[in-house]
Amino acid sequence: MSTTTLAAPAAGASASIDRLFLSLALAASAILIALVLLDGHAASAALILGGFGLGVAFLKAEFSYTASWRRFLTRGEAGGMLGGLIVIAVAAFVIVPVAALSPEFGGAIAPLGPSLIVGAFTFGIGMQLANGCGSGTLYTAGGGSGRMLIALLFFIIGCVFGSLSLPSFLALGGIDPVLASDYFGRWGGLAATLLSLAIAAAIIIAIARKRGANFVPSRSYVVGGIVIGLLSIAVFVAGGHPWSVTFGFTVWGTKAASALGYDFSQSPFWQWAGPKHALQGSVLSDTSSLTDFGMLFGAMAAAAASKPFARGAWPPAKSLLAAAIGGLLMGWGARLGFGCNIGAFVGGVASGSLHGWVWFVAALPGCLIGIRLRPLFGLSKD
Amino acid sequence: MRTVYIIVLVLGLTAIVTQHLISPSTGRAVSPEDFGGACAPCGAPCPSKR
Repeated sequence: MSTTTLAAPAAGASASIDRLFLSLALAASAILIALVLLDGHAASAALILGGFGLGVAFLKAEFSYTASWRRFLTRGEAGGMLGGLIVIAVAAFVIVPVAALSPEFGGAIAPLGPSLIVGAFTFGIGMQLANGCGSGTLYTAGGGSGRMLIALLFFIIGCVFGSLSLPSFLALGGIDPVLASDYFGRWGGLAATLLSLAIAAAIIIAIARKRGANFVPSRSYVVGGIVIGLLSIAVFVAGGHPWSVTFGFTVWGTKAASALGYDFSQSPFWQWAGPKHALQGSVLSDTSSLTDFGMLFGAMAAAAASKPFARGAWPPAKSLLAAAIGGLLMGWGARLGFGCNIGAFVGGVASGSLHGWVWFVAALPGCLIGIRLRPLFGLSKD
Repeated sequence: MRTVYIIVLVLGLTAIVTQHLISPSTGRAVSPEDFGGACAPCGAPCPSKR
């Protein structure tokens, strides 16, 4: 997510605290935390707080997977890409061994097959059109970008359509998850995961050097990467699984559609035990939703604490159209691809699951297509 | 844009709170991966189990 899509202060406005939106963000967070604490679920409160911290960290560091990947693909600049790998490396130090050691915890795993590849590729197109990925859409929408609020709405709608499509794509075949710790043990699995990250970093740096581009991450990406990695660990400890984003969107959209009269009782996806439980229960009993809410309000609080909130004008209609199409593609792609750049790529690789790397390799060509489509909507290729 | 944000925030928060209060208690927060047979973060089954 580039900073240009965040709401800029109105001309002449001095940097100041937006007390109204800061109060709203803090009050909303406090209400949700109070609700889950009243039910005696301290871990749920921790997930909201973890999400809140992630929203603050992403916004303050302007940490963007979408812009980083675009800069790498168009100019060869690798600093942002390496910052993203720092997040994974930090998280892997805890997730790989703990998930292998304790039955209370689990890594982000997913099968390998056509669904994963098609989903990640589609997500890649969408993230460049929307100008934000799973985490980017959350923190920029929370941070005051009306454009990304549109992207989020269509992201949610896309997730619902994706939930209806996923069973058909799974029927095309695939193989069971491949987890490093299953082959090398918990410490060997961690070593294999870190080695895979080192190899990826070496390849990325080599490409940047060949193109004469910068490959040193900025200070904000190094610090942001470490902080986001540590917060990912906190979310993992509180929720028992790596941080994920888009299942929450799927639940929100399907609950809203159900309230409007749509019937999902015949959908195979919503008959699986996990989704069925999520659809029947409170939205505050879904781990993904809890961190999503926290992230939205955390980004809102951080944005409102530093400047007037959402003072920017709405972008041109073509840009809003790109946000809507991008959101739809990301939502549909995230369901088929078993998550977004966070749940599938960061969570997958940090768990030592091969599907994380497959997702990454499939998403990059999608990003290339998305970058080529951006000028059609008045967006730059950079 | 600020008005839109206020409306979205108020409606969204009201929906979350209302939905939480009228939903059956389901215990601690869970992920679809917590359920038996789940092979992905969304709870999809493993190819070998289908």
